[in-house]
This record gives sequence, C-alpha cells and structure tokens, in this order.
Amino acid sequence: MSQHEHDHPHAEIGQSERPGYYDMMETAVRELLIEKGLFEAGEIRRQIEVLDSRTPALGAKVVARAWVDADFRARLLANGRTACEELGISFYDDTQLIVLENTAEVHNLIVCTLCSCYPRPVLGLPPDWYKLKPYRARAVSEPRAVLAEFGTHIPDDVEVRVSDSTALVRYLVLPRRPDGTAGYSEEQLAGLVTRDAMIGVIPVTAGEAGVSR
Amino acid sequence: MSQTENLLKRLPNDIGGLPAEPIQRVDHELEPWEKRCHALADVLDFHKILNTEEKRRGVEALGSEMIGKLTYYERWIAAFANILFQKGILTPTELARKMDEVAARWGDEPPHPPA
Repeated sequence: MSQHEHDHPHAEIGQSERPGYYDMMETAVRELLIEKGLFEAGEIRRQIEVLDSRTPALGAKVVARAWVDADFRARLLANGRTACEELGISFYDDTQLIVLENTAEVHNLIVCTLCSCYPRPVLGLPPDWYKLKPYRARAVSEPRAVLAEFGTHIPDDVEVRVSDSTALVRYLVLPRRPDGTAGYSEEQLAGLVTRDAMIGVIPVTAGEAGVSR
Repeated sequence: MSQTENLLKRLPNDIGGLPAEPIQRVDHELEPWEKRCHALADVLDFHKILNTEEKRRGVEALGSEMIGKLTYYERWIAAFANILFQKGILTPTELARKMDEVAARWGDEPPHPPA
C-alpha cells in the first residue's frame, strides 16, 4: 500500500496498485454475478485454491507410479481419469483424460490447435508457449521441427504422433522411463519427470531433477 | 483460393497447420486478476452458465483484431461479458456502471463517463 491508504474496505485480497481496465472488468463481472445470486464469493476463492494446488508434481506422481506398477499402468492407459482419481487426484471439470504411452516405436506430443485445452487437473495451467500461435500452428504439421526447437531429436524410424486436445478430451504423455534408474524409488523417479516431458516436447532424463518444466 | 474464401474456411482460432514463427519458450506467473478470471470461468462452468466450448467460441467471436491485440485473459473476460449479455444475464449498462464503481474505489475517473 503506497498512495492508497484510504479507509473504505477493499473487496480484493492484497491489491495495492490501481487495477487495469480488464482487471476492473473481471471484478465488475464477478461482483454483478454474485449480487444476482448466481454463485458465492467463496466459490471463487476455493477454485483459486484448487488451481494453486494443481502442479506438474501430480502428473509426475502418476507417471512414476505407472513406471513401477504394471497393473496401474494398464489401468492408466485404459482410463486416465479413473486411474488418476485412484491416486487422489480429483477432476474438477468434465474432461476425460487419455494417457499416451511413449515407446521405442512411438513418440507422442500433445497440443490444442484451437485454443489452450490441457490436462489441468494433473498438470496445472499450461505454459504461455503452449497457448501461443507458433506451437499451436506448427505442432501438427511439422512436429519433428518443433521438437528439434526443444532440443529433442526423434530418430526417423520412430513414429511421431500428435494428439489435438478438445474441450472434453485431454491428453497426457507417459514418457519412457530413463535408463540407469533401476534402483530408484518411486519418489526419486517422480522427481525426474518434468512438465514438458508430459507434454511430450522433451524426454525424461536421469540426470535432471525438479518438476518445474 | 481467394483471400475472402480463406477467411470463411479458417476462423481466427483455427490455426493448426499454418506456417508460424519458431517457438519461444515464454511463460509468466499469472497476475492475481488473471487467476481470478480463470477461477471465474471454472465456477461459471460448474454452474452450467458458460462451458469451455462457449468460451472458445466467445473468444473467436471477438474477431481477429482483438484476438491479435488482447492478451489471453483479456480475451477471456471480454468474451465472458459478451456471452453474459447474449444470455441476458448481464446488460452492457449494468457492467459499465459497475466498472465505474470499481474504478471509483481507487479514486479513478470512471472508464465510462456519463454521456
């Protein structure tokens, strides 16, 4: 709070700068809908908490479990949503989840050419590049060139499959378990799995740590 | 194919397969209002007021100039307002008055001065 030490109550949590036009539009739309009784303010706060709780660490947990438990893997590939729910990951929307397994013969890549559909319940919100034109336009027509821009070179004898998400059907890539991880615990394995590997733009490697990308 | 034929065949969101620039691996932490906007969309969906496909079409209906110039969540909130007007849930006048009220909390000139 700098020049805004005024005495009326702020509806928003911790906003100290003058909001921009669209910020005010959001506040106005939300407050009008609440005044009309269409939903309650607490529902927005709770949903923000849900959004904050969804990070690629959840997807990484699913992938690591699939690597160590063949029965779970089979259930995950049969129905991604119910298998994730087994691990306590709730789906707060109506979307179905199809899990695509990378193998020695097939490399999968996910995209949403029309907008920004993404497996949010298990990965959180998508990175900006996923929502921007270059990735959306090119992933379906020249996936190998796109992958090369992420430093990923898929051999010619490996098929590249691109899956285009929709409002109701979302995809998650099950990356290949890296070599040299035979002695790793499930938790250590999860620590290797990155967001970008579950989008399919990079592989999982044993040398990496952290789940941020 | 003529220029206008192409406009009919490809609405602004339909960009799969078009030539485009190299990928820039950009990302940003959402602004608080962007996160609220996302939560608003989800809550509207839960209450069957506005679903994902309506939202996508609402963004597309903004037209290519706005799609090109507004940021992601700016497009969303503009689309939500239009859809809520179309459904008769809000009126443009109501929204303009409420935005003036919100602006006044920060001692601002209203964005919609009385005509």
